[in-house]
Formats: sequence, C-alpha cells, structure tokens
Amino acid sequence: MEKTPFIEIRGLRKVYKLGKEQVVALDDINLTIERGEICCILGTSGSGKSTLLNMMAGLERPTKGQVLYSGKDVTRFDERRWALFRQKNIGFVFQSYNLMAGLSGIENVAMPLMFRGMDKDKRTRIAKEMLREVGLGNRMKHKPTQMSGGQQQRVGIARAFVTKPKIVFADEPTGNLDSKTTTEVMELMVNKSRENNQTFILVTHDNGIARYADRIVTIVDGRIVRDEKNESIARTREEAACENSRESRRQADQEEDKVSAPIPEEEAAANMSTEGAE
Amino acid sequence: MKISDQIAMCLQNLSRRKVRTALTTMGVVIGTCAIVVMISLGVGLQKSQEAMLAQMGDLTKIEIYNYSGGNGEGSIPNLDDSVIEQIAAYDHVDVITPVVQADWGKITIQCGDYQYSEGIYGVYPEALEKLGYELKEGKFPTGKEKEYTLLFGEYGPFSFYNPNGNGEWYDPYGGDDPPVDIFSDPITISVGNQDMEQNTKQPEQHEASVSGLLIGDWNKGYETVYGAFLSIDQLYELYQEYDEFNGISSSSSAAFNPRKINYDHVYVKVTDMKYVDEVETKIKDLGYDTYSMETVRKPMQEQANKMMLILGSLGGISLLVAAMGITNTMIMSIYERTREIGIMKVLGCVVGDIRTVFLMEAGLIGLGGGVIGVILSFAISLVLNMLGGGGLGGMMGGYYYGESGAGQISVIPIWLVGLALVFSTLIGLISGFSPANRAVKISALEAIKHE
Repeated sequence: MEKTPFIEIRGLRKVYKLGKEQVVALDDINLTIERGEICCILGTSGSGKSTLLNMMAGLERPTKGQVLYSGKDVTRFDERRWALFRQKNIGFVFQSYNLMAGLSGIENVAMPLMFRGMDKDKRTRIAKEMLREVGLGNRMKHKPTQMSGGQQQRVGIARAFVTKPKIVFADEPTGNLDSKTTTEVMELMVNKSRENNQTFILVTHDNGIARYADRIVTIVDGRIVRDEKNESIARTREEAACENSRESRRQADQEEDKVSAPIPEEEAAANMSTEGAE
Repeated sequence: MKISDQIAMCLQNLSRRKVRTALTTMGVVIGTCAIVVMISLGVGLQKSQEAMLAQMGDLTKIEIYNYSGGNGEGSIPNLDDSVIEQIAAYDHVDVITPVVQADWGKITIQCGDYQYSEGIYGVYPEALEKLGYELKEGKFPTGKEKEYTLLFGEYGPFSFYNPNGNGEWYDPYGGDDPPVDIFSDPITISVGNQDMEQNTKQPEQHEASVSGLLIGDWNKGYETVYGAFLSIDQLYELYQEYDEFNGISSSSSAAFNPRKINYDHVYVKVTDMKYVDEVETKIKDLGYDTYSMETVRKPMQEQANKMMLILGSLGGISLLVAAMGITNTMIMSIYERTREIGIMKVLGCVVGDIRTVFLMEAGLIGLGGGVIGVILSFAISLVLNMLGGGGLGGMMGGYYYGESGAGQISVIPIWLVGLALVFSTLIGLISGFSPANRAVKISALEAIKHE
C-alpha cells in the first residue's frame, strides 16, 4: 500500500467574487508535504500564496478541491472543529506578530495552552521555558509595546511552538524586520522545527529567506510553476539529520504526549494520526 | 478554556478600559438605584398605610349589620344563633359574637346613689378576649358565672351619675376621679320601670360583680371606652324579667325566645388580614351588610400597587438606557478587539469561549452596577427616612389622624434587593448577547488583517 502523505492538497481552487467579476486566486493546486519538511511557498504579492496558507489552516474555505492531513479531509470541518484542530496541531507566526497588547510575554506565549484548558501554573512554567529557549529569558514580563520588533517576533515564535504543534505556518514572518534580525528569527524557527521534527511552512515573497527551506514551491498567478529541492541546504540538513534525527524525534513525540490534554472523541478525530508520516 | 481563565480574561478586559467600564457601570448603578428607590417608596407607602389602618381599627374584624333584611320573610334569613354558628364554621373565622346594645331604660346598673348612664352590651363573654380587647384590671368573664357579671370599658366608672344630684359629670380626661369604685363598691343590676309614676312596686335589685376593666381603644370600638359588657344570656334574662315586670305579653317580644332573635350587629374576627375578603364575601352572599377595614384597605392597597408600578416603570426607563449603554460599550469593545478575537480564533480558541467571555463582561457590568446601585439605594433610603414625613407616606397618611404611618417613607425589603441584582445582571446579559454573537461571527482572517 502506498503511504499516506502527511499533508496532501488535491485540485485546490479558490475563486473570489468581486462584484460581478470573478478572480481566480488559486487554481488546481496539487501538493504533498512530508512530516518534518521545511517548505517555502514563494510568490509575489497577489500570487495566491497567502490564500493557500489560509485554506490549509482552515481560515478560508476552498471553492473546490481538498486538503488532507494524513489522509483526512479537513475541508468540510466546521468552525469549532477547525479551532480544535488548530489548537492541537497548528502553530502560527505572523508578519505583524499579532501579540495581545495587554498581555505580558509569558501570558502571550501561554495563551494557546490556556485555550487547551491547561492549569495556570503549568502553562506559565512551559511558557517561561519556551521564552528562555528563544532567548527572551530577561524580557518575559514585558508587554509587547516594550519590546523591539525582533523581540516581539520571538515571542510570536515562542507562542507558535509552545504547544509543540505538528505544523507551523509562518506568513511573511520577517516582513517587518531588518536583515540581521531576519537571519536570527529564521534560524530560530528553522532550528526549532528541526529539533522537534515539525513541519514548517513558510510563505514569503523574499527569495533571500526562501533559502532556509528544504523545498521551495513557487506560485505565480495562483498556479504552482516550480517545485524544487533546495540543494544547498539539503546537504547540511542530511548531516544533521544523520546525527540526531531518531533521538530527537522520539523525544518530540513523548513531549507531545505530555503537553496534549486528554482529547475527547470528537477532537481525536480532528487530531490527525501520525501514521505513515515518516 | 477553564472557567477561571475566562473570568480572569473578562476582568482583564474590563480593567483595561477602566473609565469606560466605570461609566457604563454607572449607568446601571443609576438605573438600579432609580428602580430600587422608587419601589422602596411604594413599599414604604404600603407599610405606612397598613400601620395607619391598624390604628384606625382592627384589620381582621368584620362587622355585620342587619338593618336591611332578616325579617324572616324575604330571602335573607334571620340573623340568629343558627346563622352565627354557620358563620363560625367558615374557614379562617377566629371568633364571632353578636353585639346587642340593651334597649334604653330596660336595664339599670346601680352603685350606691349612682346610676350607670352608658351603653350596656350583651355579647358572648368568651369572645371578648379573642376580639383583641385588653384588660387594664381584673379578668375576662368566663360566661359560666351564676351571678350577673359585668366588664366595664376603661372609662365606664366615670359614666355613673347621681340622678338626684346636681348633674355633675366626671371627666376622665380632666383628671377627675370616678364617682364609684367598681371593684369595691356594691353594684346591683335591675330592670327598668316602664311607668315612672307608678312607684307602687320596685324591681328586684340583683347583686352583680365586676370581673374587670378594659383598656379603652377607640379603634376597637366606643364600647371599650365607655361601655359595659354583660353576657348575652344574662341580658335576655333581664329582658324577660322586664317584660314580666311591666306586664308585657311575652308573645309580642322576640326577647322571650332567644332562638328567634334577629341580631342586628355581629362581630366576626378572622385569623388573618388576608382572609377578610374571603369571609366577608361569604357573609355578604348570605344577604347581610358588612363593614370591615378591607373596604378601606383594598382601594388603598390598589392605589399603592399602582403607585409602585408607575414609580418602578420610571426607574425601569433609566435601566433601559443603561442597557443600551452596555450594548454600546460592548460593540465598541468588539471593534477594538476585532484583531484580538481573530488572533484567538487562529490560535485555536473555540468560539464558545469567546462568547462566554463577552457575556461575562456584560453580565459583570450589570451585576456590579446592581450591587453598587443597591448599596447606594440603601444610603438614599436612609437619607429619605431621616428627612422623613414629607414623602408619599406622609402625604397619604397625613389625611388620617394626622400621623405619618410607620414613619419610614422608603422601605427596601430583601426581595427587592434580590430582584434588583437579578434584574441588573439579566439586563447586562441581554445587552451583551448580540455583541457577543457579533464577536463570534468575526472572520478570523479579516480580523488578523485588521489594523
């Protein structure tokens, strides 16, 4: 039996109606992404790359086609199931950080854990640990307005990774950052993903940061025009993978179990199986 | 999300916009205050009316008058002992007694040279205590005494006069001493002589004893002040003697057969004020005229209720305005928090949690406003009562007996506190309902693009 892809996109199409005019944002997108893959979706503004991400995350409904996670069609999920699915499986990094202005760094990072119903003490502990990992050990109690852009994005990254999601989406994560911070932030995200064998999907228009990905999918006018391995990084990745991939993967799975709250039946369905993801 | 986190988030959101929260809450405070104070005035009015009525007379007493019917021929039966028994058997009837005022001149009470000049009333002696009469001295007659036994109203002893004297009268309010001491001076009772000029024979003087002296109470009746009570059986014995003495044919006098008596005045006391209407209606259905404080109380209470409704509605209007304030605040809050709501949704917050937090905020504004409003109402009520008298209770009560009822023009009962809190919270929740649903419907995607 052929193995089930981790993420599979089949014939995805999105048409926007602007008055009487129909705009095809995406057309006939077919894509499979493996577990642990770092994939860049590259395209100019208006190419439909963000639309693709939104549909993969359940923020928009496709006009046609399917998105399957481990063979499970999520296109017909209702809002509540999507929310629970995102809660369990997806992390988000935004261009404009999207932190809660009134909350401290810790509270921002702990928020996804709060949605899961985790105890305050426990989630604060995990959030602190996470902030230390992204290098903000000394700014944990600061509000976003008291932080630089790079620091805010680190908080955003900590928030995306704190639940140890299987997939992390990043939509132009460095769009508001200078080049030095961009490098730091990109390396941080890529390393984090590699550490836990998380699938990282980066959406950008910037060729410069696309090089951090294993694979670059280029979209022009709503169609995939190129899908290629990033050879330069593939080599270094293989070296690293040989050393500790097995070890870290086991750890990641264990930690995941620890973090996840008991999942009710309905949510269990939403929670994709890891089977065949290797 | 845990409920504790939802509460924490709700409090955090409210405290972030302190001024707006305070102002919105103030609206609810004023609304609650208006309702509570207004209704408290109505309750105060009702209370003072009740107190006033209680002063005017016994609220549980029904008097039956039988002037119109009961001649045994019409549809209305004679108001005799059998009818009295029938009424006595009604639910909630505490006690019943006919009140027969002795015909003028038929019975004479004598004490030395002095003669009693006021009304003599024949009643069931055992009913006196239950009618609420209070003793100043002595005890109530039991009705089983062999000899004639009298119970005087408080100023009964002042009502003795010397028929051969110079017409001096004794004013109990003027500090005079009564001319007789009813407890120690020998008292006799006799029937009257119809023909004052035929002094050939004298009626027999029966020895009488006095069991006690009542505390006079104008509200309970004139007779408790200036009357003298006698057992109704003894009264009829004397009536019989009177007829024999004066040679009146027994057949022409109803008095010879007490069973056929048609009482014209009966007192009925019911166990509680709230049964007065029920019992009175039943008696009226028998065809007799009645009088009770109910006929005064009922329209007054209806008036008080109407007043309370009008006042409460006035308060209600301000709470309605407050409700709009809450809705407005919540909608503003949604516009401000659109992005946050979007982020929460993207990060996996289920919409139910978002709705709950919004409803909590609105409900908390309502409840908080309600609590402060109730506290403030107590303060206002206190001030009003201290100023006193000039309020509605005084106005209404002042018509009668020149008293301002119980003296409290604003009364806040516990039920009003509960009602105010429940109502203000409910107003908050209802006002927050539509904004909360609006928040839930925000598209996560639009929201995170929102700047």
